[in-house]
Amino acid sequence: MSTLSRDQVRTMMGEVLATQGKELPADDSTRLDTIGFRSLDFSELALRVEDELDTELNFDAPQLRSIETVSDVLDFVEQLQQA
Amino acid sequence: MSDVEPIPAASCVLITGGSRGLGLELVRDTLRRGAKVATFSRSITPELQALADEQPDTLFVGSVDITDDAAVKQFIKDASAKLGPIDSLVNNAAIGQDSMHVHTSPDRIAQIVTTNLTAPLVLTRQFIRHAMAKAGRGRIVMVTSVGAQRGYSGLVTYAATKGGLDSAMRTLAREMHGRFLVNSVAPGFFASEMSSVLGNEQLSAISRRTPSGRMVTPENIAPVVGSLLFDDTNLNGQVITVDGGSSI
Repeated sequence: MSTLSRDQVRTMMGEVLATQGKELPADDSTRLDTIGFRSLDFSELALRVEDELDTELNFDAPQLRSIETVSDVLDFVEQLQQA
Repeated sequence: MSDVEPIPAASCVLITGGSRGLGLELVRDTLRRGAKVATFSRSITPELQALADEQPDTLFVGSVDITDDAAVKQFIKDASAKLGPIDSLVNNAAIGQDSMHVHTSPDRIAQIVTTNLTAPLVLTRQFIRHAMAKAGRGRIVMVTSVGAQRGYSGLVTYAATKGGLDSAMRTLAREMHGRFLVNSVAPGFFASEMSSVLGNEQLSAISRRTPSGRMVTPENIAPVVGSLLFDDTNLNGQVITVDGGSSI
């Protein structure tokens, strides 16, 4: 399976936020609650990644609950791609 | 104040089972309201084909068995390639039942559950995955039944599947927070389907016992589904029963 780079996923995350008129800050330590990136936004991001990879990335809800920052999102997508 | 914008009216709707009866009326009504429609059923009736021939740019039809996951997935791909992103779904396709539970074979029970509950759940998952990625937000309507709320002989498995869809609808409405409005419309029994098993005298008796004085028709259901697809009502997670008041 091909994988997306951290930068590519970051760009897609920015696109998800942009559809809601929000902006992704440059600092990856920014907390998700301060930029309004919610769990369904993560789902949308995951679907966009799936679309690029042409494969499903299924995961359980508890895994999402530990995600707090932009960096956590990028780490998690990285892990999903490696699983 | 909330920062969540209202979910927009439907612009492209997937309606399952649109070849006849209520499904066909829902297709017609949705097109009249200006949205594009994609619909499939096991076979395409001449009425649906005629409508597709009249409106080739706004109506996409296909012959698909809802229990065939791969075919349903391909239909969504083909329909969105033709019409653009699909943002709304009406889960209408179902098979009926008219048999006492003790006389319904296990195979028939499994078939009703697969068609009326498992397939719509899998399709809804597929639709949400498509709509979240392509449209972002949308609306979902489950066509269920008054049979899910009241006991009617001969409908044990059918009622279980429709009640299951109502339960899934409520959970989805919460799970899809701010992204999808999810509701059910529960029709009473249609005069046309009852007339196949009941005589005129029995039909008249049922109509007399219905507070509105008449049984429901597909034309009664379409405006309610239409409102859930197009109006900014903020209705979410609800079952709207349309049965002339017979269940009260």
